[in-house]
Amino acid sequence: MSILRETKWALLELFPEQKAGEADAEKAAREKAKADALAKIEAEAKAKAEAEAKAKAKSEGKEGEAASSDSPKKPSKVQETAAESASVDLAAKVKGEAAKQAAPVEEIEEPESDEPPISLEPEGARPYGVMVRSYAARGYHLDVFCAPDQVVAAAELLDGAGFSLEAVTGVDWIKEEQLEVVYDYNRTDGQLCRVAVRTRVPRSAPEVPTVSHIFSGANWHERETHEFFGIVFQGHPYLVPLLLPEDADFHPLLKDFTP
Amino acid sequence: MTVPIQCAPDETFVLNLGPQHPATHGVLRVKLTMDGEYVVKAEPVLGYIHRMHEKMAESGTFAQFMGNTPRMDYLSALSYNQGYVMAVERAAGIQVPERAEYIRTITVELNRISSHLLWFGAFVLDLGGFTPLLYAFDDREKILDLLEHVTGSRLTYCYYRFGGVYNDIDDDFITGTRAFIKRLRSRLPSQYHDLVTGNIILIKRLKDIGIISQEICRKYGATGPVLRGSGIKYDVRRNEPYSIYPELKFDIPCYKECDSMARYMVRMDEIEQSLRIIEQALDKLPGGPVQAKVPKTLKPAAVDCYANVEAARGSFGCRLVCDGDKGPYRLKLRSPTYSNLSLFGEVAEGMLLADALAFMGSLDLVIPEIDR
Amino acid sequence: MGTEKVPSSIIQFASLDKLLALGRANSLWPMTFGLACCAIEMMAAGAGRFDLARFGAEVFRPSPRQSDVMIVAGTITKKMAPAVKTLYDQMAEPKWVIAMGNCAISGGPFKFDKNYSVVEGADQFLPVDVYIPGCPPRPEALIEGILVLEEKITGKRRWPRVVPT
Repeated sequence: MSILRETKWALLELFPEQKAGEADAEKAAREKAKADALAKIEAEAKAKAEAEAKAKAKSEGKEGEAASSDSPKKPSKVQETAAESASVDLAAKVKGEAAKQAAPVEEIEEPESDEPPISLEPEGARPYGVMVRSYAARGYHLDVFCAPDQVVAAAELLDGAGFSLEAVTGVDWIKEEQLEVVYDYNRTDGQLCRVAVRTRVPRSAPEVPTVSHIFSGANWHERETHEFFGIVFQGHPYLVPLLLPEDADFHPLLKDFTP
Repeated sequence: MTVPIQCAPDETFVLNLGPQHPATHGVLRVKLTMDGEYVVKAEPVLGYIHRMHEKMAESGTFAQFMGNTPRMDYLSALSYNQGYVMAVERAAGIQVPERAEYIRTITVELNRISSHLLWFGAFVLDLGGFTPLLYAFDDREKILDLLEHVTGSRLTYCYYRFGGVYNDIDDDFITGTRAFIKRLRSRLPSQYHDLVTGNIILIKRLKDIGIISQEICRKYGATGPVLRGSGIKYDVRRNEPYSIYPELKFDIPCYKECDSMARYMVRMDEIEQSLRIIEQALDKLPGGPVQAKVPKTLKPAAVDCYANVEAARGSFGCRLVCDGDKGPYRLKLRSPTYSNLSLFGEVAEGMLLADALAFMGSLDLVIPEIDR
Repeated sequence: MGTEKVPSSIIQFASLDKLLALGRANSLWPMTFGLACCAIEMMAAGAGRFDLARFGAEVFRPSPRQSDVMIVAGTITKKMAPAVKTLYDQMAEPKWVIAMGNCAISGGPFKFDKNYSVVEGADQFLPVDVYIPGCPPRPEALIEGILVLEEKITGKRRWPRVVPT
């Protein structure tokens, strides 16, 4: 299983509804693909068998015709049975072959659909869930949108999967009266999978639980996000300004900030 | 590590290192709680050179922010140029001509060497040796001349453009670069390794000092030579290939010792690898345009994208949030030394003060890049 | 008796101030004090190629008490300004200040309408003697700045002025 797929399914644990939906969709897709493949192979095999049977029958028929000078009745029966048995044999053989071919197909099928397809943009507001993004266009693979209280669960999950936290970013969506917090996760073990976990909180009460007990590096990132946006990371051990003067009481990266 | 107790627990004292201190390479301040000569607690205090780059990005157009990128990390300015233009190119869907990618690679690797050379000089200066600084600056000036010839500035290059580079390179630059490669290759073993690397004082100061475990690296998000000095072979150029790096042959230096000496060796080996990269890129340099046709005012669709490059100090990331306007809605600059320094407090606990400073030097800090 | 030719005496009289000024001008000790990008050019000026030692100004002192001139090389932020002021106050008289680079002159590229962190010029709280423009200034420009400061101290320029052709 590719790391991208593995991580996607791990993260889907947080979103049971989407997971059920995706599992059903994937199962259906897989079964459909399997059925299609089988049908295709069977159809091909059938066509082949028929062609072979025809050819055999033809050649046997010719043989029979050659022998028919002695007893015209018997050969015809022989011919029939021979043709019949040949076709039955062939059918059995073909079925066996189809089954043989179908078995490896099932094995091959897994990696074929292993890279999850790129998710479609939802219409309207985006629901909580995992989306697969095009790496070439976005620079990351998985885009998770979750409730503020799921941030810790996501961090724990990714920590267990060997990810490291690269940055914590705030974005001020002043028109929607919301603040967004984005956590960028990355792997350093050679497998390429970037995950962006994002959550939104109302501008009036920006509170997100801390992940600094899971990733020690988050300590500074959260302090920085706190001083720039005023987002309170609940449970943070030392939430004082890091880059601004210690007594700073303004949040400069808010869109309505005036010095 | 067991620390010999020098004073009673309530007799520790606070030592203020910086914000103006020769060993902190700029205006970093570290609040040290000391037990005699041993560090009990180290708390870096940042922000003495916070220059509002992220706020300035929001108040201008995409092109207007270009001038800020080299001033973040002035030692490897071109990596920062590249990270930012890559983010904007990704958002706007701009294709870069092949020749421009080659020129970018050649210049950015030259810049990486000059950054490592300056680090080398300043690091050995921290440890008490003045002479190597002069040798390093001698070679560095050669690079500055070459880069000045194409970019027009000595230090804060603003050379890349969205969809290409500002200026094509000429034959003078190519012959000059080849001559420089030859010169540095001949000087590296004698003037750097024989004089400094094998020096017993240097080894005694660096060996087994400042051990950063792989788990600490992961928890703090360390990248670059700090990570590679801890035995993790991660380099954005190889693991997340961009530009023309997949077409070039180079090794990722990696040492398993996890100590300051390992980080020193990683950087010294990287100089050689960068020379290799430049040589290959010069050999393969294709013709053609150096600038794609790009509209004067960029207006990418509302998109949220991320671009990463391997700067001299680690993985530099740009998270660019656009809202369909002429400038970034939000630009987050993920600087490598910010994460690399954040582990200082944990690792420096229990060290001798002199060792802590040697360890800090081995992290290769550039403070304006941490504070942004 | 013919006129006696008196050779010019090897001992010349001058006011002590002038002598001291000459001594000070030829051995300006700057403080090792880098703030940002300009500090790298300051280091380059001190290194082999540009060799600030030719003008007696290469002795970078890490302590303000031993230095004569403070080269403000880089951006001063509001968080850093009190520390810069303290350093200046700790220097022994006579002391001079060189504002190196656009940031130290006026805030440089970091002056914009939502500026919340950068002090717009070292002269907001320090008496600056010489301004060196550039972003960052080349090492030659720093050397010229030192020469201008010498001129300010002694009243004489000891090095011919370079006139652009």
